[in-house]
Amino acid sequence: MPLQRVSNKGESMKNTSGRLLLAGTMIAGLAACGSSATKTVTTAAAGAATTTAAAPAAAKAGEITIAVNPWGGSAANAYIAKYVLETKLNTPVKLVELDENASWIGLDKGDIDANLEIWPSGHGADVKTYIDEKKTVVNLGLLGPTGKIAWYVNAAALSANAGFSTWEGFKDPAASKKLGTAETGDLGRFLMGDPSYVSYDEQIIANLKLPLKYTVAGSEATLITAIDKAEADKQPLLLQFWSPHWEHAKVKLTEVKLPAVTPECLASADAKDGKYACDYAPDPLFKAANAKLATKNAKAFAFLSKMKLTTDQQNAVAGEAGGDAAAMTAPAKKWVDANPDIVKAWLA
Amino acid sequence: MAVVQRTARPVMPQVWRRYAVPTGIALAALVLIVVTGGKGTKLAEVPTWLDAHVKPRVDVINKWAVKNNQKHWIFTGVFDPIASALKGINSAVYWILRTLRWPGVLGLTAAIGWKTGGRRAALVGVLTMAACGVLGFWNDTMVSLSLMIVAVFVSLLIGLPLGIWAGLNDRANRWLRTFLDTAQVMPAYVYLLPIVVLFGIGNAGAVVATVIFAVAPAVRLTSHGLRNVPIVATEVGTSFGCTPKQLLRKVQLPMARRSMLLGLNQVIMMAFGILVIAAYVGAGGLGALVLHGLQNVDVGKAFAPGLAMVFAAVALDRITTGERRRAIHTSPLGIRLQKILPTSLARIVAALAAVVVLAVLAKMLGASTFPKPLQVSISKPINVVVKWVNNHVRKGVPVIGGTGAINDFLVLKLLTPLRDAFQYTAWWLVVLLVGAVGWKSGGRRLGVLCAACMVGIAALRTWDLAMDTLSQVLVAVVISVLLAVPIGILAGRSDRFERILRPILDATQVMPPFVYLVPVVFLFDVGRVPGVIASVIYALPPGIRLTSLGLREVSHSVREAAVSFGATPRQELMKVQLPLALRSVMLGINQTILMVLSMVIVAALIGAGALGLETVYGLTKKEIGRGVAGGVSIVLLAIVLDRITQAWGSRQPLDPTHRGA
Repeated sequence: MPLQRVSNKGESMKNTSGRLLLAGTMIAGLAACGSSATKTVTTAAAGAATTTAAAPAAAKAGEITIAVNPWGGSAANAYIAKYVLETKLNTPVKLVELDENASWIGLDKGDIDANLEIWPSGHGADVKTYIDEKKTVVNLGLLGPTGKIAWYVNAAALSANAGFSTWEGFKDPAASKKLGTAETGDLGRFLMGDPSYVSYDEQIIANLKLPLKYTVAGSEATLITAIDKAEADKQPLLLQFWSPHWEHAKVKLTEVKLPAVTPECLASADAKDGKYACDYAPDPLFKAANAKLATKNAKAFAFLSKMKLTTDQQNAVAGEAGGDAAAMTAPAKKWVDANPDIVKAWLA
Repeated sequence: MAVVQRTARPVMPQVWRRYAVPTGIALAALVLIVVTGGKGTKLAEVPTWLDAHVKPRVDVINKWAVKNNQKHWIFTGVFDPIASALKGINSAVYWILRTLRWPGVLGLTAAIGWKTGGRRAALVGVLTMAACGVLGFWNDTMVSLSLMIVAVFVSLLIGLPLGIWAGLNDRANRWLRTFLDTAQVMPAYVYLLPIVVLFGIGNAGAVVATVIFAVAPAVRLTSHGLRNVPIVATEVGTSFGCTPKQLLRKVQLPMARRSMLLGLNQVIMMAFGILVIAAYVGAGGLGALVLHGLQNVDVGKAFAPGLAMVFAAVALDRITTGERRRAIHTSPLGIRLQKILPTSLARIVAALAAVVVLAVLAKMLGASTFPKPLQVSISKPINVVVKWVNNHVRKGVPVIGGTGAINDFLVLKLLTPLRDAFQYTAWWLVVLLVGAVGWKSGGRRLGVLCAACMVGIAALRTWDLAMDTLSQVLVAVVISVLLAVPIGILAGRSDRFERILRPILDATQVMPPFVYLVPVVFLFDVGRVPGVIASVIYALPPGIRLTSLGLREVSHSVREAAVSFGATPRQELMKVQLPLALRSVMLGINQTILMVLSMVIVAALIGAGALGLETVYGLTKKEIGRGVAGGVSIVLLAIVLDRITQAWGSRQPLDPTHRGA
């Protein structure tokens, strides 16, 4: 074992580099004596970990792994599924919190068995690579809620120019300048969140010839901070945002009417020809699983395929936890216990 | 006065050479800028034939890896076994920490701390480790700590031998340098997903990403330490018949100790700094908790686990880098202990036995989780403070007008003009100018290298973005250096100031930037200014630390000689200590630049755009080629800035008693 070899060297070294090696020795030594002396001490270790399901523990027999992506809805689905699987199907579930792009790699390799909420618009390439071509991932069907990406303006923008409720209101440079900042100069600022989000905004702005400067806030946290700041300063703001999202309950955002979605427009999105100039299509959320799950645990696979939630049901669970994955266990249990009929249909 | 006049005249030609030539070059450049007409004209733009076609090429490789990652031998035979080994070791460390429970872990901390740094290190270690429990994150801290222990261990396993090699061999030093620049500047965000493709999600991928990021200081500072061993010492060793191996083990390594300890400290701090990113790929622990807070834009909720990260990092750092002050031999308890347990092996066994007893006792008393009454939640008070600052500093502050006005001033008067100037200048002129600076700093070879790197950026088709990034980086570097050097001098002259400063610097390195960036964005608005602020905060510690280290490394005999010649403390600092420490100070400035460049990506995530955004775009939208083009451009900028500052550093006078590079 390489650890052992190094640690022997560590003992003889008196200089700095020996310090950490020494720590390693102690730990390695402890592991050796721990295995005999402390066997009785180990049992309480399980269950105490809060949300950090990725805690390095040995996988239990038949355990399946479900991804929790960094938003409340994703956590609500996963915690509901975990509770049902563990209590009704006797299948231990490990939840792993990770980013949506990493989830695909996990699904492909089998480190992740299922992901219960995928926004399709951002993952066309993944669907093609993993589901259509490589066939390591399978589509588990729709989750239920439909998301919608859109352009939004805040109340200050509408009071600066009521025309901002449709895209034509931005054509006038003098009007758009009201959305400007020190960074954007004479142009109005168009704010977008995480660079990983699906976005045709640059194309829409260019193709509709709007005097706007496309600016990336960088992350959901900074985007929301920018919304809050604009609200506090009564500063006009135009941004790409989506629903459902909890920020809508906090700040009044109005959807901007963009040219309607046409087949040509969708074709241009697929062709990546840069000619996209219409609204975003609705996003029916779907579920996906590693292809081997069907044989590994057929019952769990069947259940996850049938599991469906409405936006309201999902919001009820996510909302009670304040959108926080760490607090999702109890609301999920409460909802499942209160809705035996719905759960029964999933298990039929 | 007469004396001044007499010396002034012969100096004139030198002054002429020093200032007139650069001024001439600058004037010529200005004329050329006007002649070429600048941005928009054909002559000024990067020609279309200059294209390395990096994006399509990398995309092909990536597609291959995604397609074959479960079949090809390189995955099943190389990456997968490494991944499972790392996972196994990590699980073992985690299992030990969990099994020991909090009393056992605290006991182990105390034992290691006492062994390496005496009572003080033991006390600081125990207190900071307990603080993680007090904040209410004991279990999550253990998850993160086990990941960190493995990552730091692997970093040292790789970094120390490489550092020794680089310290003894000039050619190795040159080659490793390119690798280190890349590893340090290429943010983990860039290689995270490719690593996950190779090593899988969870802890294995997280450890590999952390090691790549954190190994650089171990190599660099080991090499720096070996190169600064006084020549007298190595000569004495050689004349007493040391073999090269003996010389290394008995003379050079022990004398490089201070620098190597700083290396270990930096490895730990940088490793902990990556915890949040590791949470993106399923590593859980404190990083995931910080993300929970950020998800809801709840600064207090993100700050509390961030603080636990700082405490855990400080605990691990203090018990491993502690300066032993022979406490064990002098304290009454230590003397008694030595009588009972005369060999170090016996003491280690006894300490381990005590730790195990603590763990068993904890089990019997039912102390499995950190006691609730001792836990304190700091999220709410933090949020109260943040809210107050947000409401009172943004505007209406007398004289300066508030952070909003500062933001607009910096954007309109500094960042935008500088960027426009860089982008306006014809690309080949920038290449020539950078080449000229390189030549002036380090000779013809460096000049060619610098120019080649700039041509490389042009060939990657990222020129305008690179100029935008360069302007932001220069502003952040200038601010960082202006702050770091004076603070470093103070720290190098005063032990007490350094002691106060150390945990603050640790905190700025470990605390995930987004935790303090959310309020910064609220105060300054989305854009380049928050990016500059984040870069400065992150880049200060190495500048300060290396300046202080440089002052402290100036040998006592030289300083005493100066004092005995009647130098005032001020003269001693300005004429002796600082000039001799310049090499170290320059390494500090060099590290500051690399740190600023490593923040380019983070800056992009708060609205700074440019190369960082290009890189993030490519990676998150799975256009890996685009991401690589952006990332490599950042690295090329880093190589240029690194080599030039390094050349300044090696031109500085050596401490006469040191060997040097």
